[in-house]
Amino acid sequence: MVIKVKNLVKRYGELIALDHLSFSVREGEIFGLLGPNGSGKTTAINCILSLLKFDKGEIEIFDKPMTPEAYDIKRNIGIVMQNVAVYNELSVYENIDYFCGLYVKDKNLRKELVDEAIEFVDLDDYRKFYPKKLSGGLLRRLNIACGIAHKPELIILDEPTVAVDPQSRNKILEGIKELNRKGATIIYTSHYMEEVEQICSRIMIIDKGRAIATGTKEELKAMITLGEKITVESYDVSEEHLKKLRNLPNIVSVEYKGHLLEIRSSKGKNNLENVLEFIKKENIQFGKIYSELPTLNDVFLEITGKELRD
Amino acid sequence: MFAHIFNYRLKCLLRDKSTIFWTIAFPLILATFFRLAFSNLGSQEVFKVIDIAVVYDLQYQEDQYFRLALDEASTGDSRLFNITVATAEDAQKLLDENLIKGYITVDTQIKLVVKESGLSQNIIKSFIDNYLQTVAAASTILRNNPSNQQEVIKSLADRENYIKEVSGTDAEPKTMLNYFYSLIAMACFYGGFFGMRETTDIQANISTLAARINVAPVHKLKAFLYSLCAALLIHSIEMLALLGFMHYVLKIDFGYRAGFVVLTTIIGSIAGVLMGALISATVKKSEGLKVAAILTISMLGSFLTGMMFQDMKYIVAQNVPVLSYINPINLLTDALYSLYYYDNLSRYFLNMAFLSVFTILATFGTYLILRRRKYASL
Repeated sequence: MVIKVKNLVKRYGELIALDHLSFSVREGEIFGLLGPNGSGKTTAINCILSLLKFDKGEIEIFDKPMTPEAYDIKRNIGIVMQNVAVYNELSVYENIDYFCGLYVKDKNLRKELVDEAIEFVDLDDYRKFYPKKLSGGLLRRLNIACGIAHKPELIILDEPTVAVDPQSRNKILEGIKELNRKGATIIYTSHYMEEVEQICSRIMIIDKGRAIATGTKEELKAMITLGEKITVESYDVSEEHLKKLRNLPNIVSVEYKGHLLEIRSSKGKNNLENVLEFIKKENIQFGKIYSELPTLNDVFLEITGKELRD
Repeated sequence: MFAHIFNYRLKCLLRDKSTIFWTIAFPLILATFFRLAFSNLGSQEVFKVIDIAVVYDLQYQEDQYFRLALDEASTGDSRLFNITVATAEDAQKLLDENLIKGYITVDTQIKLVVKESGLSQNIIKSFIDNYLQTVAAASTILRNNPSNQQEVIKSLADRENYIKEVSGTDAEPKTMLNYFYSLIAMACFYGGFFGMRETTDIQANISTLAARINVAPVHKLKAFLYSLCAALLIHSIEMLALLGFMHYVLKIDFGYRAGFVVLTTIIGSIAGVLMGALISATVKKSEGLKVAAILTISMLGSFLTGMMFQDMKYIVAQNVPVLSYINPINLLTDALYSLYYYDNLSRYFLNMAFLSVFTILATFGTYLILRRRKYASL
């Protein structure tokens, strides 16, 4: 195991930020920590990095207890903080070189690593730019370059795509997958379920400091009863239609809001087919009809009773 | 690792325009303004003989003792007054035309007529008060012992000064220098802005950048120390530049102990940077509040040292002397003045001893706060 966290408890006065949180991260995986804002993701990361005191629990990284003085462990960790942590007075190149230099003493090797990192985050045209001259997306990419330039075995990325434009976000996500392909184990925290679903090999959903579910996205989706969500765009649905729909096999819930008819069904065969047959039989006029498999938001909703982005 | 952190820290601090402005540009500008404003201050300290008039009437002619006193006060090189004897109308005319500061009438009582209040008018009034007190004392003695008339008159005439002025120095006292020395002291303590940056960038509970440094495989206090060395180097050079500017461009006199002056300034710079580090480490609030705290302490210390109002230094020394010893800006200012004025260095060393104790305490306090390995909250 790269990381082992056991029964981690962190309190801020009366508030329990982490409530007996336990998980482990395996070598070579992209482990996602998914949860709404304030769920305890960053607190967990700060405890793992020995920045925060915690009340109870054990943390091991590379099979050794993590402490503030565990420099041999720290040397193999790359961290990309939630807030951009760079020096405004240093250029892009200088910032990456500075942070890389905290890990790598050899100047020639460092130069190579910095050049690689700049190329990796595609900031070659901005080498001499100061952070204040960079857009939000470029700044995030610089933040990532500063965290990964020394080629660590373990990379922790804490919400690295917050306030980033879609183009930069895709570049960042592709970059993370690339780092993983090159051998790095990655912990990725986010409250964007699409991102976590897109890149993580295993996911832990966290809420109020507690791990509420852990597994691959398929495993997580298998934990819930929802099998399919069918949406029909129509202005022609009556109360009678809704009653009849609810009596169809596997149907869990039916809601009609505005012109959208949302039908949730449990796992089973021919759900979409059954709905289509019903629409045809009742001669309901419709614009579009589409079916979706459950998302991590549905998993979160079913387990906690609230939306992931509440 | 030292060279890596030190070199990058030099770059960061030298490119921090705001800190560079407050720590060197502002003191240079202020020193120039001081020079322009105080260029005539030395000449104002030279006493000018006061022009007055005395109304020539019967009472004046009869009051031989007052005439004698006025004669004494208006003759010789060290005289107080240039006296014009005139009629009441002429005296008033001289006063109206600002040719005299005031005129004296000897009626049933000696009176002073002035147009405005000021130092000269106060001197004339003090002279009259002094004369009247002496006359009253003599009258009392003669009333109680009339036989001593000759001795009393003789003793009044033979005034003896029992205070002998012995100078402890060859240097000329210049109150103006206190303004410039306190400005140097203030600039030294503006080094606190560098100290503030250093502690802000190493305390993980204060800034994200500091948290980022804390997770790197570098000993936190060593990283702080390496960065601090860069801050101290820059600020010491700034202070030496200020010193050079004052001496060579503004022609401020620092006496003949150049080596000590440089050493004192460097020690002051170290004290200032460390004071800022302590304030920043202690004030757990926003950067704005930390800046305000450093500015307030520096400005208050400078004010109590007499940078804005020269007499304040003596008011503090007389009424709250302990404040003079706990105000590091005063200690530094006084150390510089001691180097300039006194031949004996005991006062200088006393100031430097207090300043050193202050610096050691600031260092220790900062260490106690910064040594924390983990934080309760970020």
